[in-house]
Amino acid sequence: MGALAKWRWAVAAAMLLCAGLPAASAGPGQGSLRGYLPADGAAAGWSRDGGPQEFEGEDLYTYIDGGAEIYQEYGFRRAVVQDYRDAAGREVSLEIFEMADPAAAFGMFTFKRSGKGAPLALGGGAELEAYYLNFWQGRFLVTLTGFDESAGTLEGLKALAGAAEKGLGDGGDVPGIVGLLPPEGLVAGSVKYLRGPLGLANVYPFGTARGLAFEEAVRGVYDSGETLIVLGYGSVEARTAAGRELEAALASSGRFERPGNYAADAVVLKDGKGNYLAFRGIEGRLAVGVHDTLDWALRTAARAR
Amino acid sequence: MVRTIGRRDFVKTGAAAGLTMALGRTLAGADGGRKARGIDVAVGVGEDYGLAAGRAIEALGGMKAFVRKGAKVALLPNVQSRHPGSFTKPEIVRAVIRLCREAGAAEVDCLSWQPIKQWEDTGLKAVCDEEGAGLRIYEKDEALFKAVPVPGGLALKEARILAAYFDHDVLVNMPITKDHAGNKFTGTMKNLMGLNSPASDRTFHRPNWKTDPDDVAHLEQCIVDLNKAVKPALNVVDATEFIVTNGPFGPGELLKPRKVVAGTDRVAVDAYCAGLWGLRPEDIVQIKRGSDQGLGTFDPAKVVVKEVRV
Repeated sequence: MGALAKWRWAVAAAMLLCAGLPAASAGPGQGSLRGYLPADGAAAGWSRDGGPQEFEGEDLYTYIDGGAEIYQEYGFRRAVVQDYRDAAGREVSLEIFEMADPAAAFGMFTFKRSGKGAPLALGGGAELEAYYLNFWQGRFLVTLTGFDESAGTLEGLKALAGAAEKGLGDGGDVPGIVGLLPPEGLVAGSVKYLRGPLGLANVYPFGTARGLAFEEAVRGVYDSGETLIVLGYGSVEARTAAGRELEAALASSGRFERPGNYAADAVVLKDGKGNYLAFRGIEGRLAVGVHDTLDWALRTAARAR
Repeated sequence: MVRTIGRRDFVKTGAAAGLTMALGRTLAGADGGRKARGIDVAVGVGEDYGLAAGRAIEALGGMKAFVRKGAKVALLPNVQSRHPGSFTKPEIVRAVIRLCREAGAAEVDCLSWQPIKQWEDTGLKAVCDEEGAGLRIYEKDEALFKAVPVPGGLALKEARILAAYFDHDVLVNMPITKDHAGNKFTGTMKNLMGLNSPASDRTFHRPNWKTDPDDVAHLEQCIVDLNKAVKPALNVVDATEFIVTNGPFGPGELLKPRKVVAGTDRVAVDAYCAGLWGLRPEDIVQIKRGSDQGLGTFDPAKVVVKEVRV
């Protein structure tokens, strides 16, 4: 056997060995995501139905036509989709999204959960809703969708999620900005971690303004009905400039007015639905308190850590 | 009957020749803003979604008011994903196909450039097969789209519309109303992007479409302009069970008003649907601009709504 032939054999043997390794050992963007899919029977009674579909980068638009932008905003890498079926004919679709980093996976998880479902002890966090389940683990977001709300389907969602979790490796840390929301009175499941204006538009309709080019943000809702949004700009200078742009853009949009007669060292605007927005700068961050009373809006903005 | 149509097939079957004849005339019944029987928005409400669709259309004067005997009818359902509440329900599409046939349609076709898998997964292919409707799936080939001028277009001077649309006499626009992460709302106007070429759709999104007010306005204006070039004879909207979060793909929270909403005024229909989950039409840019630019109205003093329980 010549040197070239030996080299080919060695490469082929290495590829066969790699094929047998757990997929979780692969780093970001390496190997196939198919290895993360639960095998037939890994969730008792559930088997794969058809083959997997895989999408990478911009290909996500072919799978989620018209809805891939939010994944891209958080930092999407790859996805694999596999359908499962049980003996009773119940179906579950399992999607594994590999994001850029654990913060992106956590963010998409918070974006997709309603906060009204049942929390589950799964991965870094999980929520079971009427017919679907989301959880995140490390840089992965996993979404399982059932096609009815029967007990059997919900059990299948949990069983398949548990099987998928085992292959996904270690968990990741929740982004530090989330800790700026004071925990007292924070409504469980209301936290949204945001990476861009599309996500922000889904938690408060600021509209568009150039001052919203933040690096990361977090939103929490409190039990007295107030909302606290913290926008992180990275530096005092960036936050100051963005704050000026944002105030000017909102004030001139025709959708906000400046209330008179308030004594506070904060910028305050009132939206068309009667909510007050109080803006307060803290180092490189801009805290926004939202409430239908001026006093609570100001107090909320002041609560950001 | 399913046909996947590429450029070669398209030319071979003579559709291109038909297109040449079809261009330059207005599609029959394509009067997007007129009231039907004095009603702007007709709503069928009930558990039987096919029947609800039928009752809504009946309130507008029946399918014969929109589909003439011998007409070729194009249907445009939404087949975005198989997740619950994200695609037009098969029973509604089935009901509309049957009503078109009863009205004397010579041909009823669903038009799409979405993959066949989505038609299979949503159950809509089965409906087409069972009802003898054509399922015309076109490749994403620019040669299969026709550039047409946009009358009064502010952002779009021309649209690139699926050429097969012009080979039909009537368009029935059949979206599901639902959430959209980008512009908060999907309805009749947004659904017409399903006839526009994917390459053209992408030009709706400028690089800073999420942050730059001008670029965002461009996206919404493109949707409104597209609606100036394509005027459905009838809109039948699935508002039975739909996602109000994580749209347009889902899965997300389901709202279940169990309504099928029909009408010719896209602005009025979309405004009604937006109101089903508490959105104000004036906050949805495409609805507001559609109203401002004469596509219809959402003025409660002018819009006549009729709800029929089944």
